[in-house]
Amino acid sequence: MPPLAFLSDPDWRRATLADAFGKSFWGFLTVAALTGLACLLLKGPEAVADALVHDRDLLLGLLPRVVVALSIAALIWVLLPRERITDLVGRDSGMRGLAVATLAGTVTPGGPSSAYALLAVLAVSGADRGAMVAYITAWATLGLQRVLVWDVPFMGAEFAFLRLFVSLPLPIVAGLIARRLPLVLSVKDAHGERVQP
Amino acid sequence: MNSGFFVLLALLAVLIGIALRSRTDFGPILKRLFEQFAKLVPRMLCALIAAGFIAELIPKATISGYLGADAGLLALPVAAATGLLVPAGPVIAFAIAAVFAKAGASNAALVTFVTSWSIFAAHRILIYEVPLIGASFLRLRTASAAVVPFLAGGMAMLVGLISSYGAPAPM
Repeated sequence: MPPLAFLSDPDWRRATLADAFGKSFWGFLTVAALTGLACLLLKGPEAVADALVHDRDLLLGLLPRVVVALSIAALIWVLLPRERITDLVGRDSGMRGLAVATLAGTVTPGGPSSAYALLAVLAVSGADRGAMVAYITAWATLGLQRVLVWDVPFMGAEFAFLRLFVSLPLPIVAGLIARRLPLVLSVKDAHGERVQP
Repeated sequence: MNSGFFVLLALLAVLIGIALRSRTDFGPILKRLFEQFAKLVPRMLCALIAAGFIAELIPKATISGYLGADAGLLALPVAAATGLLVPAGPVIAFAIAAVFAKAGASNAALVTFVTSWSIFAAHRILIYEVPLIGASFLRLRTASAAVVPFLAGGMAMLVGLISSYGAPAPM
């Protein structure tokens, strides 16, 4: 079977299009239009033009990253042995699982497209909820790439180190809280069915 | 910023190499890629545009008045709330942090702001988290991490009591 055979499957095409331009897409579009209107009324046409030019630059820079990050996540999705993840950060992984997840989040390169795409892989591979929360919290607060590329140049090395230092234990704290909260978590697995990690 | 992209490209090359060596079927990989792309990119376009407008609308000057050392503990919730409201990537968030720092915001307030933004940035939730993982994870995560910006700010405040280390040098 050629690798792109799924493209000619009409059911797949319909489902994917529905995913792309479903209800939430129109919700997003409405919010964009409303904030644009607010900006026009409160700040004038120049602010609107400024924002749009900035958006265009951001988008042109972002699209190649998104494609690369999603390709990485898709490859990992297929290549990674799922049992290994369950062993490392599964429901019975305890504190070690939270520590592993925190370390993984800290070293994950790239922006949210790569971190969340990897988290989606973890979610359906048997990672526990505490580890998922610890992973994304660590990526957000401790992510080394962000510290080096943004904190240090914008705020200075001393402030960057202070922020990193006070944040070190926090992903594990968030993970421990997540394990105790009585909230139901459900994510879609590889076959589109709901599972509860 | 570009260095990050090269890291990603290198990682991609290594993974493709591994997939080729183990003769993996690329069908499921491409299918997953197309599905995730369809889920992400149309919403991303709209969210980016909305975020750009909101960033224009945030009253930066008013807020920085509440973040100085004399604002004490009140600075932490104000900084945390402001972090929530910055629906944009690091360029804008750190530019705003630098504005606050120059206006005399305390270390604790700045740590709280950056942490709150990094955990709860609204655009990231709308563009990536909800489409890729789902609303139930968002609920769990926000409930679990809500205290994190305050803990970080509180710790920075404690550090400030014993040492003056960590003063920002905003560009």
